Order: sequence, then structure tokens, then C-alpha cells
Amino acid sequence: MAVEVPLEKWTGKIREVELGGNGRKSLVVGGAATLPFLHFEAAIPHRPAVAMEVQDIYPGGWSAHLEAAWGDALKDAGAWARKATEFGADLICLRLVSAHPESGNTGAAQAKATVDKVLSATDLPLIVLGPEVPEKDNEVLVAASEVAKGQRVALGPCLEKNHRTIAAACLADGHVAIAKTPIEINLAKQLNILLCDVGMPANSILMDPTTGALGYGLEYTYSVMERLRLAALMGDGMTAMPMICTVGEESWRQKESRAAQGVPASWGDIERRSLVWEELTALSLLHSGADIVVLRHPGVVERVKAAIDQLMA
Amino acid sequence: MSRYIATSAIRGARDIVAEAERLLKESLETMGPDTPVAFPNTAYYLPVIYGITGHKVERLADLQWPLDHAKSLLPPVPRQSLWLPYLGETLDAGMATLFAEEIIEGIRFAKGEQPEVRNGYTFNGPIDDVQMRAWGIQMVDGRMPGFAAIIGAAKSNEVAVKIVRELQSKGQLVFLSGNVNGRSIVDQLLEEGVELGYDTFTVPFGSDTISAIYALGYATRAGISFGGFKPGDARANLLYNKFRCFAFALALGQVDDLKYATAAGAINYGFPVVADTVIPNILPVGITQYEHVVSMPFDDIPGRDDLERAERLVQRCIEIRGIKVKIAKVPIPVAYGPAFEGEVVRRENLRLEFGGKGGLCFEWLTMRDMDEVEDGKITVVGPELDAFEVGAKVPLGIMVDVAGRKMQKDFEPVLERQIHHFVNGAEGVQHQGQRDITWIRISKAAADKGFKIKHLGDILHANFHNLFGAIVDKIQITLYTEQDKVAELMEQAREVYRERNKRIADLTDESVDTYYSCTLCQSFAPTHVCIINPERVGLCGAYNWLDCRAAFEINPTGPNQPVPKGEVLDPVKGEWEGVNKFVYDHSQMKVNRFTVYSIMDAPMTTCGCCECVMVLLPEANGFMIVSRDDYGMTPCGMTFTTLMSTVGGGQQTPGMMGHGKYYILSKKFIPVEGGLKRVVWMSKNLKEEMAEELQAACEREGVPDLMDKIADGTICTDIDGLLPFLEEKGHPALTMESLI
Amino acid sequence: MALTGIEIYKLLPKTNCKKCGFPTCLAFAMKVAQKGIEITACPDLTEEARGALEAAARPPIRLVTVGSDEHKFEVGNEVVLFRHEKTFYHPPALMVRVKDNLAAEERDKLVSEVSRYSVERVGIVMSADGFAIDNDSRDAGKFAACVESVTSQVKSPLVLMATDPAAMEAALAKAAGRRPLIYAATRDNLDRMVELAKTYNCPLAVSEPAGLSELAELTERAAQAGVEDLVIDPGATGFSASLQVLTQLRRLAIKKMFQPLGYPIITFPGDGATSVEEEAMLAGQHIAKYAGIIVLNHFSPATLYPLLTLRLNIYTDPQKPIRVQPGIYQIGEPKDSSPLCVTTNFSLTYFSIAGELESSGFPSWLLVCDTEGLSVLTAWAAGKFDADRIAKSVKEYKANEKINHNSLILPGKVAVLRGELEEELPDWKIRVGPLEAMDVGSYLKTQWKP
Repeated sequence: MAVEVPLEKWTGKIREVELGGNGRKSLVVGGAATLPFLHFEAAIPHRPAVAMEVQDIYPGGWSAHLEAAWGDALKDAGAWARKATEFGADLICLRLVSAHPESGNTGAAQAKATVDKVLSATDLPLIVLGPEVPEKDNEVLVAASEVAKGQRVALGPCLEKNHRTIAAACLADGHVAIAKTPIEINLAKQLNILLCDVGMPANSILMDPTTGALGYGLEYTYSVMERLRLAALMGDGMTAMPMICTVGEESWRQKESRAAQGVPASWGDIERRSLVWEELTALSLLHSGADIVVLRHPGVVERVKAAIDQLMA
Repeated sequence: MSRYIATSAIRGARDIVAEAERLLKESLETMGPDTPVAFPNTAYYLPVIYGITGHKVERLADLQWPLDHAKSLLPPVPRQSLWLPYLGETLDAGMATLFAEEIIEGIRFAKGEQPEVRNGYTFNGPIDDVQMRAWGIQMVDGRMPGFAAIIGAAKSNEVAVKIVRELQSKGQLVFLSGNVNGRSIVDQLLEEGVELGYDTFTVPFGSDTISAIYALGYATRAGISFGGFKPGDARANLLYNKFRCFAFALALGQVDDLKYATAAGAINYGFPVVADTVIPNILPVGITQYEHVVSMPFDDIPGRDDLERAERLVQRCIEIRGIKVKIAKVPIPVAYGPAFEGEVVRRENLRLEFGGKGGLCFEWLTMRDMDEVEDGKITVVGPELDAFEVGAKVPLGIMVDVAGRKMQKDFEPVLERQIHHFVNGAEGVQHQGQRDITWIRISKAAADKGFKIKHLGDILHANFHNLFGAIVDKIQITLYTEQDKVAELMEQAREVYRERNKRIADLTDESVDTYYSCTLCQSFAPTHVCIINPERVGLCGAYNWLDCRAAFEINPTGPNQPVPKGEVLDPVKGEWEGVNKFVYDHSQMKVNRFTVYSIMDAPMTTCGCCECVMVLLPEANGFMIVSRDDYGMTPCGMTFTTLMSTVGGGQQTPGMMGHGKYYILSKKFIPVEGGLKRVVWMSKNLKEEMAEELQAACEREGVPDLMDKIADGTICTDIDGLLPFLEEKGHPALTMESLI
Repeated sequence: MALTGIEIYKLLPKTNCKKCGFPTCLAFAMKVAQKGIEITACPDLTEEARGALEAAARPPIRLVTVGSDEHKFEVGNEVVLFRHEKTFYHPPALMVRVKDNLAAEERDKLVSEVSRYSVERVGIVMSADGFAIDNDSRDAGKFAACVESVTSQVKSPLVLMATDPAAMEAALAKAAGRRPLIYAATRDNLDRMVELAKTYNCPLAVSEPAGLSELAELTERAAQAGVEDLVIDPGATGFSASLQVLTQLRRLAIKKMFQPLGYPIITFPGDGATSVEEEAMLAGQHIAKYAGIIVLNHFSPATLYPLLTLRLNIYTDPQKPIRVQPGIYQIGEPKDSSPLCVTTNFSLTYFSIAGELESSGFPSWLLVCDTEGLSVLTAWAAGKFDADRIAKSVKEYKANEKINHNSLILPGKVAVLRGELEEELPDWKIRVGPLEAMDVGSYLKTQWKP
């Protein structure tokens, strides 16, 4: 009996976005002309990338397992970035946590110094995320943009509220904007349109659809991403930007990843559970179309990278 | 284009290009071709030349090409007898002027004559890149609206200061240059002790007209930096500045040929020119967003004194450039924000109330022409709060006059409805109702903090600007507190409400060629597209056609998009090519066809928030309508909740459809299937809630006793109970054409 | 072309006899149109109508039941490729593999641990679904003994794994009436396994790694021989191969209505995995991408709990907001002086605010009102989150007994309720929190004092 596997005739494909280059390592994400990892259907030129999160101050309230995995590197963004490079990160995601009004309220000068330090600590491409307080983001991301001019970093979050500012900085210095919207396909598309309207080239935008961790809204992110991906493949160029998911941050803030005591025995061993939590969140979102996952635990990075290796083989 | 202006501008251009040529020739001879030419602290060479042509000037010899280019742009001076549309030539002359001016400033730098020093004061000269970037980014993202390039000198020092202060208060950067008979606005400001410089957003470029070129150099660099296009892409740069940089030139005092020529250059960038002297107006909209050249002879501006005239002059500049005003903080003495929306002002805390039982209070918003509204003017006609006893019931008429280039008469009710929401945001102020049943209370605490009746105006002014700036440019509020006047105006308002009601009633599907979409619900119903036509509200009941139209004006990339009907495919079922295409494209290609007037053939999909679901009852040859508030069983064997799982989620289910409750009253209520006469069962609460309107609709349909024949949950909740009832009552559906 | 509900209705007897379990023929027809039930549930169909309808209305993936009585699960009957298109209906069963050559003591311990395992999440109790008993020993007697021992211990659904029909028969004899899944018929033993499936009235897994055509041939043979409750094993292992093959199978079923492969799929993510974590990740992939039964080689609560959570997430109906049990929840370890917030029982709303409270550093009480699964603004607009309902919840769940203050923090989006709520709850102090859950941490930091 001859079985003919149905192939979709997709008319669109995901846009290719390049990060780094110009002396740094270059990384291209996107480009797929089919759903994630369906090699039997169409070409998938680039593998999804694994970014490792680095913060500009010693992280508060991290789980002991996470702290143990990193050790003293957490004390300095440069050392942390170097260690992440050793751990096999494809790129570094620097979060300017200290710029948050409640975490130090540092400003442009501090942001410049940190970005500069991380840029010289590693030759990997860089993502810089502000504290997601638009006024502060405008201050520190614009500063970061200037320092990183020409190095094609990804700057975010670029929200509807401040998209003009972030776009202007990206345009002036040749960067990529991370357009972040709250788990909704039309809002994601709308922000992409707005960014293109202010002159951002479509190949300089990444989408952050807002990540829900396993058990904490994962299914919403999962489906919105599948829908964005499908819309893109059906030919909608304004949903065809590669997607980035902040998996580590969301996964590690949940009770399941933090609570060692006072939880049911059926939750199992905290260390394994917390890692698997991050792994399953990452893997599910890779299957729904993530092009970059930002992770925290080196062990998770190793296993997620191994899974991607297999999925791309 | 005025021949006078064209002639002057072209003459001015020819003169300044000749001057540049002379200077270049002289300096090449005296200093040599390799003498460096550069503006300080910039990576953009001579920015206008670089941005528009891509040509890099680094030494004197590099100036030859731009000079030749400027010369090639120069048109001949128009002759007395010849009338032509001079616009193209004049704009070219303007561009030649800008090149010539930049060449001259370049040579001055090479000679060490810039920045200018005059009477011991050092001017700023061009803006450096660091400052350009800091301001440019704010200008691009809208935090800073734009810049005003002032050229010349004001009528008096006092007026000069007032103009600059007014511009600063609107968030405008102020660039200063030029003089009138040797006297410059910079002189005037310095004499009055005004701090000039980057920190105060006022930049003195120089004392002659030529130095105004730095304003355009700034705009050009901002374009290249933040616009994402290459130096030399003149078209992109000019368009970018036209649409993104809200700048204008303000010529103070007599306008000579060079000022006309420079103004012509500015118009290339889409920057309009306002003069405070008598010059010909150029009003048609074209190159600039709005008017190109506007003359406002200073002494003819209405106003009590020169200061008020200066204020009006600035206001007019802002309007001409289409600069949107944002008001960061609502200027009232009590806190303002959404947290106070639910506050209740109780009798024991009551200072004053307007309306309510036995009281008189109304709100009425009217669209006016631009020149009929004075933005920010708030007038209380009659006594203020302090004149009334504690707990008094006071008459109040709230008249809001708005004007805007994108305002439409039909938006009046849409905006008027916002008043409720706006007023409620103030701490200690409670608002209920709308139109002539408005009821407002002000608490003692709010009054103690200084809240006055006038502040209602401030609240409206700020909020309309901030939230509806896309359609409204000017807002003026008049608050009446005298019994007789309020009563009189209220009658007029009622007449308008009646007209509006009629207008809504008259607004038919046939009278428009565009419907609107709503895709707000696609977050959970990905293939659902609401099509909203004048005679059918969105199925959630929250949006009608006018709301959608206004929503689109306010947020052009939002969930409410215009849907051109296009070619009629089936006039009876209401199928249009344009609607089909829109629905197909926006439903992930899941819904191919869509009819507006049928529930049996390709009906509207249903999301999850419909007010009602209508379901075919084949046994009764009719439809039942169950409302969201009805938790009981229905004759189709399913409750509302079960029905939602069948029909909801963006599916097209012939025989079933979600809809808003007011759709039942529409003349276009399932016309293909026979309209209201097909309804055999309806949730009790719907019958009660809309008793009067339903009765009227039945009469319109020619079946005045229909409501008695429609069953509800108190009569039966199953099909077996329904049929005998319909038989007994002789329901018309039983004898109508079979539905399936 | 699928038939609409109305078209199906026309072919039904229109008697509203309710024998199908639906109140009216139309309601039944609508459900059939959604492929939510088989047309054969109507007992009074004419032959002609049955013929017309069956072709159009057969679910693309057969619903297969494993187990019996209340100890069973159903898999299959899926109608979409992506959950947002409708929903995924039948969550894949997670089975734990028990090898028959495991020492009895170890085996009993494992079986006992797995069967006692359960974990609760948002009011839903989740557990593993049963055991896959593996004839690892290749010894029929040992296999049968193992099955006997497990069945005596638990009533859970079973998969019996053996390629030797004799061993399978011996085991089936011990599991009579349990309706285990027979794993597996292969090209070498198909006829005998089919016979066993018929004799013992059990569902049958068909395994054929050579290719989909080969697999389809075997299922056709089994179906022709009269076994219709089939489960298929395409033999694809590893991340990439299993994703591609399972996707192809789902597409064939949904898009082409290809009946010979329209059956639930069984997978073994632990085969070839180098660690428990790797097995868990692959199992996670299979949950999202199209497995019907997943056999795990390891039992580890630290991986099973995340997997069960993932399954719950993926199999949530995206069009029906998932609800949280109303009540008062503890976030962290709140004291009587801790803040009390109120929210709705839409799961995403709950998780957003609970997550923010969790990481805010303020242990809190969270009062969840029954809003029928609607989010704050939607519930408010629908009249399901009004002052009356909030006040009722405050009283019903005795919020005042948990705290020593009388402050209740409202979501900022329903600030309008404050006045009414003050009337409903005169002894309470109603405060208005931030508009977005995200800002609750800073709200508490700056504003909270009991």
C-alpha cells in the first residue's frame, strides 16, 4: 500500500535575522520554510539558538542549585559571560536588572559600562534586555545601543509603548529590536507593523510573544507561537519574524523550581525537578517555533542543545 | 504658489549662490584647495549636502561640486508678465539656497569665523552629534514634538520671551537665528536674561539668516540616524522629516529675499513657515502636512495685549504643523487615575451634586471648525462651587466643543460617551449616566482640596488630548451653572440627541460602502472575524459600526479595520466579494464565504463573548434565542454554556449563530429566513429587558401580538413543550416556508 | 467535504428519541459534525443514511479504550493538528514499564510506588495511567507470573509487551477481563496476535518500523480480520525521527482521512535515551506532538510531575478558559497580617497574579472568585465579577478569619467596583491594586501596610 505523506505548500518562510558579525561571531536565526524540525517538508537552514542569561548584578533570590552551578561568576557580568561562553552558549542575553527602579535604579552610565564589559568578555553575539519599565528601558537601552554600535545586538523589550525609541536606537546603531507583546497574535503582528512603519527593516526584528512557563501559561504561549508560525508560513510577512522566549527567567521564578521544602513528596527531588521544568518549557516552545531560547542552568543548556542537535540532524 | 514669493525666493537664491561662489573662489585662492572643512563634532560632514546628495565635504575643493549642483538648480527669476505654477522652481531654488548657505558656513569654519562671536557673546553654531542623538531620539519617538526655527526679531523683548516660553511649554526645541535691521531675537532674549543653551532647549545658531541652515542640518542628520536610510537618499530624508519631524519656521519681522529663499528650502523638508508680518499665504496642502506659508500679521492677531497675541501665534504654529498636544498630568488639585473610577460619593460626604433625581445636568459634545475652538479655554458661566451650600443640587450644562482635522460629526456621540469614564477618574468625583441623565457628585474632601467646577473642564481637556489626539486637535469646555441657561441649552441638546438617534436609525447597510471588522477575540478564537455593519452590532454588543470607525481613526493598525464591501455577489443573502476576501484573509484561510443576512448559509462565525446564541429548531421551523444570562435548559436541548462549546471558538455553524441582543431589533435581523417572525422561543430575561423595543419591532414587522406567541423558559424548556404552545398561539413560523 | 450539522440532521430520524444520549437530533447532529461522536451512536439510522454519514463522519483517529470498567483510559479521536484549531481531546496515557525479570521485591515496590503516586494541580488530581509489562525475560512463564502479580496488586490499565504470541497468550490468561493493550503484532506474528485480540477482546498494537506503507498494510490486515481497536507503533525513535513520523501520521489521519493509519500511536521515549532527563524531554515532545500512549522506562516523581503538568497544559481546551477552583489560596506562607488580594478563577489570570505574588517577597492570601473561568475585565463586563459576587466569596470562604486586618486588594482594572463593594462589605477597607499583575510586587512594596 503506497502511503503518500501530505506536504504543505507553504508560501511564506521565516525571515532570517543576523546577530553579531563585524568582528564578533555571527549568528543567523530563522529562515525555515516549514514548521519546526520538519525536514521532510522543506529546508531549515538555521538551528534554533540557545542564549544564556547574564545579569548585571548578583541575582537576588536564585535557587541554591542555580547559584551552585555558576559559583562566583555570578558576581561579575564579564566573568559570567565568559563562563556562559565556556558552557556552550550560542549567544549571551544580558539583562540590565539593576536599572529597575526597585533593584538599584542605575542609569545610562552603568548600562554602558556593563555592556562594554560583556562585549569585551566574549565574542558571542549579544542580546541586551532592559528592566521592562519603559522609561528606564529608554534610558539604558539607548545607552547600550550606543556602546554596541555596529555589533548588531538585539535590544529589548521593545514594547508598543516605547517602540519608537527602541526602533530609533536600533536604526541609528544597526541593531535588532525585540518586539514584545502580551501573548496575543494580533498584538504581535501589530507591533511588527508599527516597527516597520517607523523604518525598522523587517529583518531586524525578533518577536518575544511573552513566555509562560510550564504550568504557568505555557499553553497560551505555545499556541500563540504556533499560530504566528503558521500565519508566517501561509505568507503573512508581518508575522514572519523569528521568535525569542525567555524560558529561564520564567521557569525559575515558579514555585516548582524554587521550593525544596513544604511541598508534596510527589513533586520529587527539587534539583532534578527544577532542571526538567526549564528543559520541558524550552523544548515545548522550540516545538512551537522558538528561534532563540534564553536559559539559565548550564545543565539545561547542555541537554537542550543536545536535543536540538538531534532535531536538526 | 504666489508669484511674489516665488520671485523673491528665486532672487534670494541667486544672490546667495553667487555669494557662495564668490567666497569659495576667494578662499580657494587664499587658503588652497586642501584646507580642511568641517563642522565640529559631527560624523556627517556638511550634513545637508551629505544627507541630500551623499557628497562628503572634507576640504575646500570638495565644495566645488555642491556649488555647481546648487547653480544647476537655480531657475531664472520669473518675469512680470509670465504666470506659471512656480512651486517646482521655487523649491529647487530653496534647495540651492540651503547648499549655498551650508557652503558659506563651511568656509566660515575653515576660516575660523564660526561659531559666531558678537558683542562678546559666543553663539552655539551647529548642534553636535551627541546632542543631536539625544534630542533626535526623543523627537523620533514623540517625547519631543519637534523644533521651531525662529528667524529675525520679535516686536518687543517681552514678546520674544513670551514666544520662546510658550514654545518651551509645548515641548518644542527652539532654534534661534537671523536679525531684523541688525537686531536679533538672541539679543532680545539675552537682554531679558533668558538662559540659552542645550540645557534650556534653546539654541542660538547665529545672528544672520544663513545660520538657520544648522536647523536643517540637524533635521537631516536625525533623518539619516533614525530613519534607516542612506545619505544621498534625498527623497527618503525629506519625506521622513515631513512625516516624523514636527518642525516649523517662524519668521519674525520683515521678510527679505534671503528669508524667502531659506523658507523655500525649509518647505522641501515639509516644514511650514509662519510669518508675523504681511506676506502672501500659501495654503493648499501639498508639500508640508498642512499649510505651507501662513501670514499672521502680529498686530492683527486678536488678543488683549501683545502677550496674548504671542500665545495665539504659537498656538497657530502648533496647529499648522499638526503637532499633537499631550498633557502629562491632569491639572486638578485631587489625585487622578483609574483607581478612583469606582469611588462612590455618599450623601454624608457630599459637597455638591449635579443632576440626579429632580436635577438638571447634561453633557453635549459638538464638533466645530478649527477656528471656532480655542484649545484649553475653560469657562464657567454662572457661580462657581463656593457659591453653593453644602449638599446643594446644582444645575450643570457641560458643553464640549472639539475641532480636529480628522474629526467627523459621527464621532460626537463616541467621544461624548467618554466623559463618564474621564470624570470618574478624579478622586472624590462620581459620575453616572450620560446625555441628559448625567449625575455628578463632588465630595467634601475634593472641594476641601480645592476642586472646582472648572476642573471638570481640565479633566476633559487633558483626557481628550491624551486619548483621542488622533482625531481631536482642539478642545474647549464651557460649564453652565445657571438654572435658566442650563434649562434652555438642555432643550437644544435634547434636539441634538434626537437627531443623533435618528441618524443612527437612518444609518443603513445600503448607505455605506464600508463595513468594519473586529478581530479583538482572535486571541482565543483564532479564526473569528466579526463583521460589523450599520445594522448589526458586534456580537459582544460592545461595538457598533460608528464605534469601529472611530476606533480605526484612533488606532489605524488595531483590531477594527475597514472592510470595503466590494462587488455584490448576492444582494439577498448579503454576500460581497470584499467582505469574503477580508474574512478569508483574516481567518487563517478557514472561512471562505460569509453572508451578512443569513443564519442558514455561511453565517458569521462566533467567538466566545456573544450576548446571545440563536439556534435553529427544525421541529418548530423557527429559531430560539438564548441569552448569556440565562442559565436554564432550552428547547434545543442545550444550555447557553453547552451551545458555546458547539458554536464558539470561531466556527461557522449554519443554523447557529452568536449575536448581540440589539441585533434582534434590527431591520436586518435574519432577513433571508424571514426576520423576527421566525423566533419561536426567547430567554425570559431578554423579553423583559427589551420589552418595549421588542414590541415596537414586532409592530414594525406587522405582527403586533408576536411577543405573546414567542415562548420562553417559564413556558417550556424542551421541544415537546414548545410545539403545542406554538400551535395553540398560531405562531407564524409554523406556516412559513420550511427552513431545511 | 465534511457535512454541516444541518446536513447531518437531515439524514437523521428526527425523532428526538434521546437514545444517543443527546436531547435532540439536532444537538446530536452538531456533535457529529464536530467529529465529537460517531454517527453509529444513533441506533435508528437507515442503512442509506448510515452509508452517507459514516464516510463523512468517522473520526479521523479511532477512539481506543484500554482497560475496563472504571480502570481504563481512552486515546485517539483527535480532530486537529494544532490545539488552537479546536482542542486536543484525549491526553496521552503515561505508562511505566515493568520488566518481568525484575526481582519480585523491586517490582512490587515499583508497582506500589507508581500506583500510589498522585499529584494535585489547580484542583486536578493527576497520576500515571498504568503499567507496561515487558517480557524482557523472553520467558512466557515469567511474563505470565509477572502479569499475575501486578494485576493482583493493582487494577490499572495495562500494556502487555511481548513478541511471542505464546507468551502473550499466557499473560492474557492472567489479565482476563482487564482489557490490556496487546503489544505488539508485527509482520511475523500478526495473524496469531489478531486471533488473541479477538479471543480476549483486547485492543491491539501493531508495530512496524520499516515504513508507513508497511505499517498500513498490517493494520489493514488486522482490521479485515476483525480487530478495529488498533494502536500503532511506527518504530521511530529519537527526537527527530519520532517528530517527523508522528507528524506525518497525524497529517495523514486529519488531512487525508487515511483510515489505515488513523489510530492512536504508542511511543517509548526511554529507548535510546542516555538519561532520565533525556527520556523526559522526548516524552514531553510526544505529549505535544501526537502520541496516544507513552511508555516510560523510569519512574521518577521529579520528571513525572513536570510531564503531567505539560500534558495538562497541552490538553487544556484553548477555547474554554480553564478554571481554577474558587477559594482562598496561600501564596508562600502568609500570616494573618499578610495582604489579601482578590481575583477571578480564569487560570491564566490566577497564574499571572499568583506568580507575581510568589516572586514579590510578600506571602499573601489570594481569594479566587468563581467567575466561570473568565478573566478580570471579561468577567466584570459579563457581570460575573461584581461587588455582589466578590462579597459573597469573601463571606463564603471566611476571608476575615485568615487575616487580622480588613483590607481587600482589588485588581486595578475593576476599580469601578470599589464603591459598591464598600457598601456590600461595610467593615472592610477596599483598596485598588495595580492594573497589571506584573506590578503587584511594586504595589505591595510601596503601598502595603495592613
